[in-house]
Amino acid sequence: MMKQPYNLSRRAFLVSGTAAAGLGALPGQSFAQGERVFRLGALNSITGIGGPYGPYMLEAIKLAVAEVNAAGGAAGRKFQLFAEDDQTKPEAAVLAVKKLVEINKVEAVVGIWASSVGLATMPITNDANLITMNTCGAPEMLTENKKGLAWMFQASNAIFGNAFAEVARRRGFKRPAVMAFNNSTFVGQANYFKSAWEANGGKVSAFVIYEPNQSSYRTELARVLASKPDVISLSAYRPDATIILKEWYQSGQDCKFIMPGWTANEDLVKALGKEATEGLISISNVAAEQHPAFKRFAAEFKTITKREPDIFAAQCYDMVITLALALEAAGAQADVAAINGQIRTVTGTGGTKANSFVEGRDILRKGQKVDYDGASSRLEFGKHGETVPDFGVFDIQDGRLVLKETIPGQLPA
Amino acid sequence: MDWISIANAVINGVVIGMLLALPALAITLVFGIARFPNAATGDYMTLGAYTTIASQMFLGGSIVVAVLGAMTMTAAISLLMYFWVFRALAERSHVSRLIASIGVAFAVRSTITFFAGQDQYVVDLPLVRAWNFGGIRILPTDLYIVGAALIALLLVFCVMYLTPTGRRMRAIADSPELAAASGIRARRVMIFLWAVAGAFCGLGGALLGIKAVVLPELGWELLMPMFAGVILGGIGSPVGAVLGIVTFSIAQEVASLFVGPAYKVVLAFLILLCVLLLRPQGMFGRPIAAR
Repeated sequence: MMKQPYNLSRRAFLVSGTAAAGLGALPGQSFAQGERVFRLGALNSITGIGGPYGPYMLEAIKLAVAEVNAAGGAAGRKFQLFAEDDQTKPEAAVLAVKKLVEINKVEAVVGIWASSVGLATMPITNDANLITMNTCGAPEMLTENKKGLAWMFQASNAIFGNAFAEVARRRGFKRPAVMAFNNSTFVGQANYFKSAWEANGGKVSAFVIYEPNQSSYRTELARVLASKPDVISLSAYRPDATIILKEWYQSGQDCKFIMPGWTANEDLVKALGKEATEGLISISNVAAEQHPAFKRFAAEFKTITKREPDIFAAQCYDMVITLALALEAAGAQADVAAINGQIRTVTGTGGTKANSFVEGRDILRKGQKVDYDGASSRLEFGKHGETVPDFGVFDIQDGRLVLKETIPGQLPA
Repeated sequence: MDWISIANAVINGVVIGMLLALPALAITLVFGIARFPNAATGDYMTLGAYTTIASQMFLGGSIVVAVLGAMTMTAAISLLMYFWVFRALAERSHVSRLIASIGVAFAVRSTITFFAGQDQYVVDLPLVRAWNFGGIRILPTDLYIVGAALIALLLVFCVMYLTPTGRRMRAIADSPELAAASGIRARRVMIFLWAVAGAFCGLGGALLGIKAVVLPELGWELLMPMFAGVILGGIGSPVGAVLGIVTFSIAQEVASLFVGPAYKVVLAFLILLCVLLLRPQGMFGRPIAAR
């Protein structure tokens, strides 16, 4: 017979120790008995390619939850947060969201970042009739949002691709090339750039979709540079953009880049230095930087994380506040569908402007209509649950983002 | 497709291949002597890359010190894991050791992210332009990388084929029982093996960090191509591991010129498949007869 490989008492210690540690990690033990909480799921890309963004998105969610709970909850219901990591992978995300739905019994899932994750989890949240809020940009998100329960806080990449083409035209470029990371978000962006550019009779000099997670993109880049473009629309995340721009700089060939703002920003300058990033054109839906909601959020965010929030963090903050206001408007007894029905109402035009949860709640309590203008945008949702924000066009000059112009976002014709 | 593009792709493939040859050699040595595929190899590389970053941050900028520090650190962790985990499992099946090595990989990675977070880091080195020879571009940094890898490979091959320690290693690889019967003490060879494997992963990781960006998944993502390269070269054959991974990398880069980047991995594996159909033992492997 095989020898028992474990010392039983040690095993018992391990099991009980792990269980104790697990108990300690459970959030929200401080809730009083009998109080009806709102169970909120956060599904963030903490690890994987979303790693540079996900942890801060979760911080923003926690910050907003704390704000709502400090004010006594929404309609008297405090938020209880259950957080999961989706590893930026649809397979892991499906398991995580099932756990949130079936075990934690959450009523909404917020903070989904990658479109691949958003598209994989939407059937599950739809089946369970849950609200889901995301920063996904794949155009398919809009068509898949069949029950109207999904809310896209980030502009669709159809709109992004159009904006990229519009900027390339305004800047007088003649031979744009397209280079994009192979996922549903960025391939969508690249395709919409191409079709928007070609709709005006132009031609794209090269169109390269590259595989993620490589240590070098030189061969792919060489293929693009061989077509002698005057500008490259580069749909990339920060890690791959860092490598590609490094290799582009080393190649010595001259051209400009148009990139999404969540990649082309001060963090990228920090990674590459001022010289290699000079003149990059960075396009983002402008976080409402002059807006009081953003200023207050940014200040609180900075005390916790010691850094400025990016657009995704601001969007995550807005998700929780929007949800809280919708819950407040729907009342304590409302079910998920009723809360969902209020989301458009508390953000839509025509109400009294509010910049924080408490402001909005007080307006609602007076029996008035409220219009929450968030930290990420004015939050006016279109008929598929999408936001159509304005875009800021920035140039990176001497390591800083300089706003050149703002162009209105447009849905593709 | 013009020959300049192909030449550039080949050069790129050689650089990446030489860089990955270091951890690939570690895989093949561990497989030959400790007899299991070590899935922690990738995360030892990650550790090397992060040690380079940490050393630059806290000890000042010298890249040579940082790379040597990375090698020392990974060698130390590799030894620690040998004494702590793999030695205890030496009598178990290779599957349980493979699983244990996956556990080690997760432990190493999670420890790194606990301190360093998920965000990317870059090794602080000034950017230099490539030398341009009529379209063929050669990067000075790449020359250093290939140079460092070559020196390290030469050193270990000298040790393996010219010194008593190397002879003992090869003896154990050939037949552990015979080696033990002729009085070779496995313990010392194991210590040497794990130190070299760790140092090589550290060096590979540090060089990769210099070339690319440093992320928590840096090494883990490379396990597949590295194992593929080792299999292509012939499992357990040190020369085969180096040539296998270089061939595999060149195949990937050249393939992306013809079939598009999305399919380059597929084409590289197709080449692997063809080689294995013709030579099931790999390029340099010896046929193993089952008894």
